[in-house]
Amino acid sequence: MKAWDWESFFEYLFSPYLLEGVWVTIWLTAASLLIGLVCGLIAALLRISKNPVLQMPARLYIWIWRGTPLLVQLIILYTGLPQIGIRLSVIQSALIGLGVNEGAYLSEIIRAGIMSVDRGQFNAARALGMNYRVMMRRIILPQAARIIVPELGNRFNGLLKFSSLASVISLEELMRRAQMLTQAKFRVLEIFFVASIYYLILTTIWGIAQARIEDYFERGYSQKNSGKTKRLVRAA
Amino acid sequence: MNMKEGPQPIVEAVNVHKYFHDNHVLRGVNLSIHEREVIVICGPSGSGKSTFLRCLNHLEKIDDGRIRVCGHYVGYTERKDGHLVELRESEVAKQRLSTGMVFQHFDLFPHLTALENITVAPIYVLKQSEKDAKDEAHRLLKRVGLSEKADHYPGQLSGGQKQRVAIARALAMNPRVMLFDEPTSALDPEMIGEVLDVMLDLSKQGITMIVVSHEMGFARAAAQRVAFMEAGTIIEEASPAEFFDSPKSERLQQFLRKIL
Repeated sequence: MKAWDWESFFEYLFSPYLLEGVWVTIWLTAASLLIGLVCGLIAALLRISKNPVLQMPARLYIWIWRGTPLLVQLIILYTGLPQIGIRLSVIQSALIGLGVNEGAYLSEIIRAGIMSVDRGQFNAARALGMNYRVMMRRIILPQAARIIVPELGNRFNGLLKFSSLASVISLEELMRRAQMLTQAKFRVLEIFFVASIYYLILTTIWGIAQARIEDYFERGYSQKNSGKTKRLVRAA
Repeated sequence: MNMKEGPQPIVEAVNVHKYFHDNHVLRGVNLSIHEREVIVICGPSGSGKSTFLRCLNHLEKIDDGRIRVCGHYVGYTERKDGHLVELRESEVAKQRLSTGMVFQHFDLFPHLTALENITVAPIYVLKQSEKDAKDEAHRLLKRVGLSEKADHYPGQLSGGQKQRVAIARALAMNPRVMLFDEPTSALDPEMIGEVLDVMLDLSKQGITMIVVSHEMGFARAAAQRVAFMEAGTIIEEASPAEFFDSPKSERLQQFLRKIL
């Protein structure tokens, strides 16, 4: 067997089989982040409420889901739950596993974002007659987003890679497809190099998108100066 | 006393007490303000003036006493048997529509333009149409002299400009009483005048104003009454002329000596 087969490498680089896996990775990541955002937002709002009865479930959720490995959670969901009669499909298990796990981490990020908003903003919003929902939706969360979004971007980057864990419960995302391909073709190094390249392309594209999104949320805070000054302002 | 009399005070505080943990910040404040009246409350820092102002729109909860604004009990509703029941936050929010507040540190919404700062509450609280809200906002910006800054963000405005936008923002909700919490204390001296001019203009239009401030020139020019607050109670209140030229209490005389 050759040490490195360029022909195979390029064949796999443009393989529809792997590209389908890439597509699954993309939507799995996006959907999981969305689920995570919903769970995280609810948990964060419960966590900051003054009512201890509301705080408890949030603290419990965060403690358990951040305290156990994602891999174990995925396996329990897909392979363990059927034992007590709950049968989740591969996709359901992957989405719930990744999403709910991510939510536990995001809740702390969201909470930090909300707490970073100046108290005066809450007073000004209330003084204008805003109720809780309007205040959070229009005034507080948009400002908290400034703190939350960069970290959200990092989490998305991480999720792009952690989605590969769903291969363990045989979801046919990129990692699983790469594995299955090596079982048929044996060119392990070439195939996983290609997979790595795809992951790198995804995370790089996301990096660019993230920078644009961060700029949008920074509007109104930094003066419209040259790019150099903007970088300085951000470092401070 | 030189007061514009009305049938019923628009703001009435009776025996108001407030504690911050062990600190007895308000020790029985009594004050009645009538519609179209302008009253300035001054006093040393720590006297409770800002806290009292915040109790008027329930940004702070009182521990004893009663406050009525436009006839309703602030933060509470009266049951048929005479007992007061605490209101839910959403109901308190509705009560706050009768008052408008201007803060010492402006507290404009940094992620919104000046125009959006003014329209956000009318659109999402009063459910006005975007067009109506914008038209009114432009009108208010013109009134405070900032028409050309409509699309600027607070970060691009000076302190005096920010405060004038804040005043317009409060006015957009059509409150019956305007509350000013040391509106010029955080401003550089050269910008104080532009804000006081707007406030003087407002006072002449018959808006009820309760102003916590040290700006004695404004008090003389605009107020019907000036009140001196120290250590949680109102020591003296009088017309500006009596207040500044013939203060009765020793503590007020001391205070005036220090600041004038």
